[in-house]
Amino acid sequence: MPAWILYSGVVIVFWGVVGLFQKLGTNRISAHSLVVWLTVGYIVLVPILLARTGMSGLGRMTILIGVLGGFTNGLGAWYLFASLEAGAKASIAVPLTALNPLLTIILALGFLGERLTLVQWVGVAAALIAGAMISYETGA
Amino acid sequence: MPKWLRYALLCIFWWGVFGFLSKIGSTKASPIQMQILFTIGMLPLVAAALLRRKIDRDRVGAAYGVLIGVLAGLGGIGYFAAMQAGKASLVGPVTSLFPLLTVLLAVGILKERMNRIQLAGVVLGLISIAVLSV
Repeated sequence: MPAWILYSGVVIVFWGVVGLFQKLGTNRISAHSLVVWLTVGYIVLVPILLARTGMSGLGRMTILIGVLGGFTNGLGAWYLFASLEAGAKASIAVPLTALNPLLTIILALGFLGERLTLVQWVGVAAALIAGAMISYETGA
Repeated sequence: MPKWLRYALLCIFWWGVFGFLSKIGSTKASPIQMQILFTIGMLPLVAAALLRRKIDRDRVGAAYGVLIGVLAGLGGIGYFAAMQAGKASLVGPVTSLFPLLTVLLAVGILKERMNRIQLAGVVLGLISIAVLSV
């Protein structure tokens, strides 16, 4: 099994549990407030992470890209909330935004020269469709 | 185009760009370094949120939020590690399957019910992971 899929499994476990806590948390505070408190959690981690790694030796470009990564991710969340506040049905907007890796794929193929095998294309298509279907919450 | 749709497309755009930047950054920085830089990038948005909106201070809600941040951050390190090890065009779609676990946990713990589309999605998601594991 390739290493990337094992790491991806770790991501699914952590973010999957996050999703559960999010359901519990947003019953009590607004989505925007949640992002603020969530960032406090990120910040709490930083000293622990800094104890394990230095930040020297990173090029300016790499630092910029890493910081922009955090910014664009936050911006995406911001627009998802804005969409829901503008009257989007969650059962439509959330599955739609689950298609975001499509753009990552296009950019990686176009700018990084990534190529996929036919089997991988089938897997990727299934994953994207599955992601949208799983986010289709019709409410209890 | 309705406003909500424009915002949803902007969400897709920025999250898609995030995946791409994560891949480029992870080729030069370690996953832990990436998570630190990522956290710095969130700060301007939090500052904007603090200035523009009232932040709810419900203690339990805030505690959930902080806990979510810690778990999401640890997951983020895994995400950057996956990006470093593999192709963004594979890691992006597979990691975005995390709601698969959320719905299963919601069924098991919160006694929520999955609809048929979600159930079919879970099955399809598991198949896709199996296909890509080969």
